[in-house]
Amino acid sequence: MPTVSAAPRRSETHLELHLRPSLFIPELRTRKKSSVLEEMVAHLAEHRIARQAQAVLEVLRQREALGSTGLGKGIAVPHARSTMVTERAVLLARSTKGVEFDSIDGNPVHLCFLIVAPPVDRDPIYLQMLAEIVKAVRLAPVRKKILEAADFASIRSLIGAQLA
Amino acid sequence: MNTKLQALVALQDLDLMIREAKDPEQATREEELGFPLSGVDKLERTRDRLAKQIDEQLLQRYERMSRRFTRVVVPVEGRVCLGCFMGLPTATRRNIDPGTVEHCENCGRILYRL
Ligand SMILES: [Zn+2]
Repeated sequence: MPTVSAAPRRSETHLELHLRPSLFIPELRTRKKSSVLEEMVAHLAEHRIARQAQAVLEVLRQREALGSTGLGKGIAVPHARSTMVTERAVLLARSTKGVEFDSIDGNPVHLCFLIVAPPVDRDPIYLQMLAEIVKAVRLAPVRKKILEAADFASIRSLIGAQLA
Repeated sequence: MNTKLQALVALQDLDLMIREAKDPEQATREEELGFPLSGVDKLERTRDRLAKQIDEQLLQRYERMSRRFTRVVVPVEGRVCLGCFMGLPTATRRNIDPGTVEHCENCGRILYRL
């Protein structure tokens, strides 16, 4: 009988299930909060996650008016729900030079996780993913590795390891 | 999408955000994760400004239906209302002129098409 050497695979977190290579911007072109949000929403529109880029952008801007989603330590997690979003999605974007994002600590943002979702009644997964992102990037060496990773697959496994 | 509806969609999204920011459970959870929610007043002022741009009759209908449904303005996909998932009669589609606002004959929600 063949021996099974691999340990049973743990089930993936919501965040990992939402991380898709097509929803990854390895290096942002722009360096200001408002243009970065624009760049990211345009990417969502290209992938048909935003039905109308302008409407989704407006919701994200309003969300920033509620309180900046720049968490500090180079991380931002802009998030909002909009009628014009077709499905829950996470878009990861990196900026080596850093983005001015009104962060709590005033530092530029290097990793930006954008979460969007349609406005269903209660969406526990949406909030859970927010928590998973915060947990995944809490360590400085991990943030550095995500920023320097050569491909999306390595980023995904780095994040997975933090959530295991 | 017509401009009347565009403003209404923005209002609906803003209402949802305000509702969530005022929900004690959800607000606490976000704040614990490091997201301060200090601008609710600002959003409410934006909401008032936006509401003034919307046709009065349409706004009243929206407000009335908001008590029943989380989402009052919903998309049509194929010929199905994505609020109640019922098929819409083809006549509804043929007779629309770009200035009118459509309603679902089954649930009454306000419909938009892209
Ligand atoms: Zn309906």
